[in-house]
Amino acid sequence: MPDAASEDAVLLRGIWKRFPGVVANAGANLRVRRGTIHAVLGENGAGKSTLMNVLSGVYRPDEGDLVIDGRARRFSSPADAIAAGVGMVHQEFRLVPTFTVAENVVLGASPLRIDKRDISARVDALADQYGLAADPTRPVWQLSMGERQRVEILKALWRDARVLILDEPTAVLTPAEADELGGIIRRMADEGRSVIFISHKLDEVKAFCDEATVLRGGKTVAESLDVREIEPTRMAELMVGDAGASVAERPAPHPVGKPVLELRGVNALGSRGLPALIDADLTVNEGEIVGIAGVSGNGQRELADVVAGLTPTTSGSIVLAGVDVAGRPPRVRFKAGLAYIPEDRLGVGLAPALSVVDNAILRSYRAHRRGPLLAVERCKRFCEGLVEKFGVKVGNVDDRIGSLSGGNLQRLLLGRELSGEPRLVLAAQPTRGLDVQGVRAIQQLLVDQRDADTGVLLISEDLDELLTLADRLFVMSEGRLLAEFDPTTATRAEIGAAMAGADGAMR
Amino acid sequence: MSEASIIGLFVFTIRFAVLLYLAALGEVIAERAGVLNLGVEGMMAMGAVSGFLVGLETGNPWLALIAGIIVGALTSGLHALLSVVLGADQVVSGLALTIFGLALAAFIGKDKVGTPPEGTFEPLPVPGLSEIPWVGEIFFQQPPVVYLTALAGLGAWYVLNRTRVGLGLRAAGESAATADAAGHSVVGLRVGAVMVGGAFAGASGAYLSLSLAPGWTEGMTAGRGWIAVALVIFGAWSPGRAALGALLFGATLALEPRLQTFGVDISPILLSMLPYLLTIAALLLLSIRSRNRPSPAPAAIGIPYRREER
Amino acid sequence: MKRPVLVRRDRVLPGSQAFAFVAGLVVALLFGAILLIASGHDPIEVYGRMWSSSFGSTNGLGRTFNRAVPLALAGLAVAIAGTMGLWNIGAEGQILAGALGAAWVARIGETWSSPALITAMLVAGTIAGLVWALGPALAKAGLGVNEIITTLMLNEVAVRVVRYLLNGAWKDPASLNFPVAPKLPEAARLPGLFGRAHLGVVIALVVIALVAVVVNRSAWGYELRIAGSSGPAAAYAGISLKRKILTVLLVSGAIAGLGGAIELTGNAERITEGISNGYGFAGIIVAALALMRPWAIPAVAVVFGAVQVGGSSIQTLGVPASVADILQALILAGALIAGVLMAYRVRWVSTRAQDPSGDGLEAVAGV
Repeated sequence: MPDAASEDAVLLRGIWKRFPGVVANAGANLRVRRGTIHAVLGENGAGKSTLMNVLSGVYRPDEGDLVIDGRARRFSSPADAIAAGVGMVHQEFRLVPTFTVAENVVLGASPLRIDKRDISARVDALADQYGLAADPTRPVWQLSMGERQRVEILKALWRDARVLILDEPTAVLTPAEADELGGIIRRMADEGRSVIFISHKLDEVKAFCDEATVLRGGKTVAESLDVREIEPTRMAELMVGDAGASVAERPAPHPVGKPVLELRGVNALGSRGLPALIDADLTVNEGEIVGIAGVSGNGQRELADVVAGLTPTTSGSIVLAGVDVAGRPPRVRFKAGLAYIPEDRLGVGLAPALSVVDNAILRSYRAHRRGPLLAVERCKRFCEGLVEKFGVKVGNVDDRIGSLSGGNLQRLLLGRELSGEPRLVLAAQPTRGLDVQGVRAIQQLLVDQRDADTGVLLISEDLDELLTLADRLFVMSEGRLLAEFDPTTATRAEIGAAMAGADGAMR
Repeated sequence: MSEASIIGLFVFTIRFAVLLYLAALGEVIAERAGVLNLGVEGMMAMGAVSGFLVGLETGNPWLALIAGIIVGALTSGLHALLSVVLGADQVVSGLALTIFGLALAAFIGKDKVGTPPEGTFEPLPVPGLSEIPWVGEIFFQQPPVVYLTALAGLGAWYVLNRTRVGLGLRAAGESAATADAAGHSVVGLRVGAVMVGGAFAGASGAYLSLSLAPGWTEGMTAGRGWIAVALVIFGAWSPGRAALGALLFGATLALEPRLQTFGVDISPILLSMLPYLLTIAALLLLSIRSRNRPSPAPAAIGIPYRREER
Repeated sequence: MKRPVLVRRDRVLPGSQAFAFVAGLVVALLFGAILLIASGHDPIEVYGRMWSSSFGSTNGLGRTFNRAVPLALAGLAVAIAGTMGLWNIGAEGQILAGALGAAWVARIGETWSSPALITAMLVAGTIAGLVWALGPALAKAGLGVNEIITTLMLNEVAVRVVRYLLNGAWKDPASLNFPVAPKLPEAARLPGLFGRAHLGVVIALVVIALVAVVVNRSAWGYELRIAGSSGPAAAYAGISLKRKILTVLLVSGAIAGLGGAIELTGNAERITEGISNGYGFAGIIVAALALMRPWAIPAVAVVFGAVQVGGSSIQTLGVPASVADILQALILAGALIAGVLMAYRVRWVSTRAQDPSGDGLEAVAGV
């Protein structure tokens, strides 16, 4: 039972959570008052998801206190958190596609005997109460993303969650659906429930939320701000922080040559079958680094996959080093001079179960053939050359690639891709998750490429990195390349506001 | 072609269908929970030999049937341990179970091969109904296991579709992480499903050695376990449709020795290929049909589950 | 209250699979001993007989090697498909198809010279195995139809095709109406090697070496391993997954088919529906124990061959031959358990949700 004396629904104090090589939460705090909607803001990697996973019982914190409704808690599984009244709607929905809406809602919390009509009626009544229109008898696979989200919220309500965590709930919604969601969560708050709303979109935070807590680098940098009092630009500044010291000095400018990559009116669908890249026009010239900033999930992944040839375009032209590559397979692109550093290093860039050598030759193995066989010694020498040139720390080149650390994986991947004397380097989040040394080394490699007259397209969520390295900077939002900035003059607040989708960013 | 021979065909269609259906029902339960168990043949053999031996010992068919059920469940425990608890590949573990069960059954029953059976099931006419011409003879003068199988099919359907356990079990087979997040124990559900499945396979085996073909010989399951595996797919993982499939496949088994009596000039051997070929055809149709809607196959089948704890 | 949780080790212990295999062998022998004692036999005597019959003499060794040949080729067929993450459960049927193809050549080539006939039989068996895998391969590559079930179903069909022929067109007229094929001509018998061993041992070793080289050293095998490890990485490197699925399943079927042909010309007097004798299924266990690595297959296959030869030899002691199959399955079970225990460590965690003692507090991550 809630402790009536405490008006805090959630109190997190000094939460630490470390993963191998990464500190995700470094003493984060959060206080959510009962009956309010509380925004949790922060850039990717700021530790929001980890903190919410701690609150919902997915992770156990290394240190710190967790108080729900005035009672100290320690969760060892999501079921414990549910029992304590904490429900979470993850970005990746936890639904069974072949089950009906009602079956999904009651899963794990149904009567022993299931009377389908009775369950449907009760789910229907619950949905009506909160204005969550959903036909309880329809299978979930037929529903839109917005409808599926409502099913997730219904699941939490069915279990009478007193605290509901929504992880970037509007990412999958149309603007109208998002407004509707705002109304639904307000109704829940009015009933005395508490809602934690994770978002990057400051206009929504302003419109829906009462208070906001900002995380950066795993720490809470501003706690329980009154959203009505504070300007969105100030929130954006808090999210991106002051100029970081972790990035190298801005490299000296370099003369720019002819275009190596030209995108004209390129459209593509995302994994959910919705437009994810809309009318992209972009030119990258020899000898320049073009940066793409933006909150993740705004079409950056699709932009990279379209250029690399892993996602088909629905329209538009892509000219790479003079070759029209739209609709052509990936190999045509790397023959034309593309080097690709994908966001998923292990999986897309590297084959995790194979050895370092096998991964090193992925691009060039056809050149290392001797008859039908691979020239093993030549492959090994090639790999050892990469290892030495790019400073990859590796015990034995025949070890599984999975045994390498993140920084060394990235060095090997970069080394492999750069070894073919590329005309264009496409790097997606190349420094994410690396330590300071690793970040510097990778950044230097990109600058070296630029200085060798290669075009570089750098997609990153690290604004400091982009402001330092990029010669030109675009912001991506909702699948569009929004605005072009000059990194030497643009302010962090301007860019932050454009990233957050605030008005007045176009120029 | 006499009336008696036609009735005989139907009577044995039902009896063979029961053999296949019992085993297939167990496999449906295991697969709906996300565990492919290719050990059906081995579990059936274990059920057959233990039922037969307990029948010899006690002369009581019910004790013998219960023994077959318990031994079937215990045998399947090996698969549950390897593939569910330890996360070994379900294909390898299941095939090992087939080899193990067949061999252990042969080992246990070695000295009793050819011994006349005791405590077999006799036909149990249902009062009244068995008097109906044709229908009574076909449906209501069968051994009691036949009637129980019909009840078991209904029961399995009910549990799968109308209870909390069934809902959790199906969720474990479709999306184990979802079932886990909803508070169900995926490992518990899957171990339970595999062992209930083993119990059904054991019952099928005991029915074989106590009723359909009383006695014990090595290899008496004769590949019927594979037909049961096929039946699950042919029946689209549903207890109801599997029952119809069991009648169809049962009919081919019953027809095999009777083809010549009926004056049909087709080799019974060609007929015996039919269940397997029909299953392949059904799979092809399913995959063509499943292009724009979910396949009836449990989505998480074959994938070991371990909660991701970073 | 505490409960055990398996936590994956950061690094798999070196040489762990060889150790797991030995551990499996020990576990199997122990369980087998219990079974033997319970049924009134002396395990030392039984195991001693098994050892001496399989490894104790030149003839025994030859028999063991002969048994290992179809086991190894079936295992190799499974392993090469497994390299790409595919399951060929149809080696049993492909072995039968291979034997059938070879037997057909023997029927039409009765007058040929022995080397020509045997070569033709082996080629025909290889092709027949490939043809038997064609349907599942096309269905998987074209429509994504689960290859586990299609290959499995075709096993049962293959047995019936052989039965059909033995009951009809291929029935020996001199057999007094028994459904058996005529004996193979003398020219169709594979030459001996040493003791009882036949030339098939050499052929199998050559094929295994060839496949090991192809998988580990050739560009084709490299593409196979990439595709098996990561589809997107393969796509990025310009490798066609569909073509790889098709070819690898066909090669897999061909290898098993060759195994059937060798078994026919090397060990059998005539084709029977039991000629595959469970080799296809045992081959899956062999491949699993060899972790799908071709070069590890001969060792596992020889151990299994010895267990099978030993199993038939103990019948004179009144022990059923099925002991061999029990041991095979238990070797796998023991090795799987040992393998898991080596890849994971067991950690005890608190089961109480709100245990303030702090036992469950240590990081769940691999610290």
